[in-house]
Amino acid sequence: MIEELRKLQRDALAAIREARDAADLERIRVRYLGRREGRLSRLLRGLGRLSAQERPAAGAAANRAKQSLGDALKGRLAELAAAEPRREPDLDLTLPPRRKWRGTIHPVSQAVDDIWTIFRGLGFTRARGPEVDTEWYNFVALNTPLDHPAADEQDTLYLAPGLLLRSHTSPVQIRTMEKYPPPIRIIAPGMVYRRDTYDATHTPAFAQIEGLVVDEGVTFVDFKATLAEFARRFWGPGTQVRFRPSFFPFTEPSAEVDVKRVIVREDGTEEETDWIEIMGAGMVDPAVLDNVGYDSERYTGWAFGMGPARVALLRHGVRDLRLFYENDMRFLGQFT
Amino acid sequence: MKVSFRWLRDVAPGIGLTAREAMAQLALRGAPVEEVDDLSEGLRDIVIGQVLEARPHPNADRLTLCRVMGPDGEVPVVCGAPDVRSGAYYPFAPVGAVLPGGFKIGKRKIRGEFSQGMLCSERELELGEDHAGIMPLEGEFDPGAPFAKAAGLDDFRFDVEVTPNRGDLLSHVGIARELHPRGQDGIVLPAFPRTGGNGAGAGAGGHAATAGGAGASFVRGGSEADSAGVRIRIEDPELCPRYLGAVIRGVTVGPSPGWLADRLRAAGARPINNVVDATNYVMLELGQPLHAFDLDRLADRTIVVGRARPGESLVTLDGEARAITPEMLMIRDAREPVAIAGVMGGRDSEVSDATADILLECALFEPKQVRATRRALGMSTDASYRFERGVDPTSMETAVLRAVELILAAAGGSLDGEVIDACPAPWEAPVVALRPSRVKHLLGVEFTPREIIALLAPLGYMVATRGDDSIEFVVPGHRSYDTLREVDLIEEVARTHGYDVFPSTLSPFRPGTVPDDPLFQLEDRLRARLAGDGISEAQTPALGPARHGDVPLLNPMSADESCLRRDRLPGLVTHLERNLSRGVRDVRLFELGTAFAPGGDSVPAESARAAVVLHGRREPMQWGGSDRRFDVYDIARVMELIADEAWPGGTVVPARGGAAGADPGGEDAASTAEASGLAADAFVAGRCFELVNAAGGVVGRGGEIRPAAMDLPPWAGTVVGAEIGLPASPDRKAAVTARELPDQPASQRDVAFLVRGEVAAGEVLRAARAGGGHLLEEAGLFDLYTGDDLPPGTRSVAIRLRFRARGRTLTDKEVDRACRRVLKKVKEATGVEPRS
Repeated sequence: MIEELRKLQRDALAAIREARDAADLERIRVRYLGRREGRLSRLLRGLGRLSAQERPAAGAAANRAKQSLGDALKGRLAELAAAEPRREPDLDLTLPPRRKWRGTIHPVSQAVDDIWTIFRGLGFTRARGPEVDTEWYNFVALNTPLDHPAADEQDTLYLAPGLLLRSHTSPVQIRTMEKYPPPIRIIAPGMVYRRDTYDATHTPAFAQIEGLVVDEGVTFVDFKATLAEFARRFWGPGTQVRFRPSFFPFTEPSAEVDVKRVIVREDGTEEETDWIEIMGAGMVDPAVLDNVGYDSERYTGWAFGMGPARVALLRHGVRDLRLFYENDMRFLGQFT
Repeated sequence: MKVSFRWLRDVAPGIGLTAREAMAQLALRGAPVEEVDDLSEGLRDIVIGQVLEARPHPNADRLTLCRVMGPDGEVPVVCGAPDVRSGAYYPFAPVGAVLPGGFKIGKRKIRGEFSQGMLCSERELELGEDHAGIMPLEGEFDPGAPFAKAAGLDDFRFDVEVTPNRGDLLSHVGIARELHPRGQDGIVLPAFPRTGGNGAGAGAGGHAATAGGAGASFVRGGSEADSAGVRIRIEDPELCPRYLGAVIRGVTVGPSPGWLADRLRAAGARPINNVVDATNYVMLELGQPLHAFDLDRLADRTIVVGRARPGESLVTLDGEARAITPEMLMIRDAREPVAIAGVMGGRDSEVSDATADILLECALFEPKQVRATRRALGMSTDASYRFERGVDPTSMETAVLRAVELILAAAGGSLDGEVIDACPAPWEAPVVALRPSRVKHLLGVEFTPREIIALLAPLGYMVATRGDDSIEFVVPGHRSYDTLREVDLIEEVARTHGYDVFPSTLSPFRPGTVPDDPLFQLEDRLRARLAGDGISEAQTPALGPARHGDVPLLNPMSADESCLRRDRLPGLVTHLERNLSRGVRDVRLFELGTAFAPGGDSVPAESARAAVVLHGRREPMQWGGSDRRFDVYDIARVMELIADEAWPGGTVVPARGGAAGADPGGEDAASTAEASGLAADAFVAGRCFELVNAAGGVVGRGGEIRPAAMDLPPWAGTVVGAEIGLPASPDRKAAVTARELPDQPASQRDVAFLVRGEVAAGEVLRAARAGGGHLLEEAGLFDLYTGDDLPPGTRSVAIRLRFRARGRTLTDKEVDRACRRVLKKVKEATGVEPRS
């Protein structure tokens, strides 16, 4: 009996090792462990013929064999499962993913945001002012007498005598300094308006960003350094920055700021651009500080104004400014 | 300001720069060259040709057969000009050359003889009008050498951008000062070339020698002075501090000599006649506007500088009858105005071919007066442009003498008597003090007094006195309009030192006192949320047609941009229309911008707005997708999304009847102004929502946009949109207090109600919520069904109720009881019962 058990166990284990899949294993299970026709079951039914002395040992051996075969079946099944993953119904993974509509932020807003991100890192906050303003804020307080040719530079849209659509964001300088004491460290993005008709480089309404720093001990060196730092962070570390003398009634000395960028072409070679004018800037004219009641002997400062639409134009290679304001979904959709 | 590079080098011979270097230097001195024209560009192919032999063409009477030495050796050339001389040099266009007009020279056979090139006339080279004969060149040349260079025609015309504070740069001398290493000291005005027989100037040479330059003298006076039978009187010394007049008799008015006409053309000016050209030449050279009157046309040979009298008028040189007013300063003769001072001369006293005697005016006019006058007249001239920006009061004598000399050289005649100098208000040079300590304070770099003086002296600033930390500078005439304060001198120090020479070192800074504007922060969040929701940001102008706004412009550019918009939505709809008209059918746009309402005290009220429009498919075309279109429930969702950020606690509700009467809520001034507007009339009645803020005020509207308000293609579908006011100073979003998650399981029940048409689904839902008591955690509408199996006029509204108790598991009995309470409440409130 014990011998038969051993043989049965050997055969069964060999068969289990040979099994190729779950169906084989099931057949083996039925053949050996099946409740009625299984070989082990039949053997166990013969236990009754054994003597009382033999019976306990043979029963224990039969149980061990049953246990061991069960374990072997389970183990082999796990082995097979690991070797050959279960087959699910086929998915065609080349089908496009499920999509939702993609919205984009306007390229000019993106430029404003990128500029703001850099100035935020340089300790600036954002200030805001009205779009309708007075001649005082737009011109006079900014040291631009109306009877001076400098007032012609910007052809202004008026609502009433003395009341106008701001032609630049510089009035925010005055309004901010009137409201807060030094130190001032702000940028002021906003829309400005000029009496320009639409063409490739002009629109009657466009975005501008003003910047203003006022404190004790602020110098031309700080002015250059901060704007150069901005330019390198915005256009890349290799960017060269040039300051050229210019004139704005509310800054003195005044400067135009140009950058020369390094463009890496697709083949890896580098190319320098021409000098590109990016902003007007300068040291705050003492008359402006006097107009807001700051002590111009004690405080000095610098300011700048730049056009984010122009920045967007350059960075996206857009040739006509009007594209930004036509709001064609196919155009806007590119700026993801 | 257009300048000739050659001319610049002529007035400052020490400028050792190429045109490119000069442009770079001007840029760094604050006068960038915006545009440059290579004046010899069209002449690039033209060379010097020497005629070795000229003989009559064997087969044509009027043609000459030449052998010409050119760049490729000797070639035969057939020439139509009668006067070709052997041995002479001519501009020559060899085979392959392109003339300035674009004509390409080819190898030709003319009456049986080969011609390999062309000897050119002035007109063919666009150098003048003379096309009778070819253009002989004086002197010795290398055959084949570039013609433009050999003939002195290689020049560049710079268009220099001059800022409004730099009137001193509106002349060749002014720009040359910025280029010459020694500045003002490098200026040497060149002698005028001797005029070669251009008819008009015949016999002038002798006179010029006696009258020009140092030979002339002045008769000085205050408000009045006279000489040569001409009297000048200044009535208004503040507006005209000085008036010089020179009487020249016996001029012959005609075309200018070639060199003068060339010069003017090189600087972008049009030659007119020798007298006018002479005055223009001096203006372009020195910056002093001049005017020549026909002396015979001046009544009583008198000049009076004074205001216009009421009712006077004047026809100016350009033939326009000008409506002059008594504030304007006039040049008058004994009877009437003859010129608008500093702006333009009158037609009647203009120099003409018949003019024999002239009065040459060289005056100084007050900038603001000239500006006010020319603005009132709606005109601008070369003269007014310069007077507005300030003309050098110290170069007037040089200018008048130089003009006299040039007129005598170009038009003949002689100076009669002395130059009249009426000067009621002699000019005094401003003196400005500079503290070297202040230079460091502003520029951040220490300059010694010696360095400062070395930087300013070449610009003409002379030291008056020196003290402790103070240097007083006398300002030169050409800078006397701009340099009036210490900071103006500091700018000159920085500019001359060179901006790029200053270090660029970041220093520590103190944080500012200005808080970051919360509306910007709100806008940032809205942009991110809306774009994330599949809507693209648009930017549209705040200017629109009169029907879109209540705040008109005084000086609009066009009827379509004559008003400030009262709402942003109509502008956005315009851009939706544009997209549809281009065949873009799925359009989702939002905009953040300002809306304008008439203000109480005439200053319009501004409010920040968000506007949205949606049209087309709700999702991109895709497999397994749906073809559903945006409808009003989508815009309601977008309104909720905006409310999340802008109006926490706000709710979107169906618009209450007459939207225009909606009463503003909340203390926020912005929302008060908004409530009456907010695109109230943009939507289809009954398909419109309102956004109500936590204080109960209407702060936004949205819904289906009235088709009649749009111009859409016939295939277009429903357009939904919204206009939401944003708070002027949004509060920071309050921090949320987190709720703990429940430990116990919830019990769910679904109930379908049979709702008659006139009962609002929202009412059923509201009643269900009210009836659920404290055990009802949530009631959500999850299905809406209409079908033939339902009684006519009814819908099935399915609501899922979720019950939960804190700390224990609900029994079925409790849930059943709560459900019954819900059904009861719904029945009471709406009369609606569950579907059986």
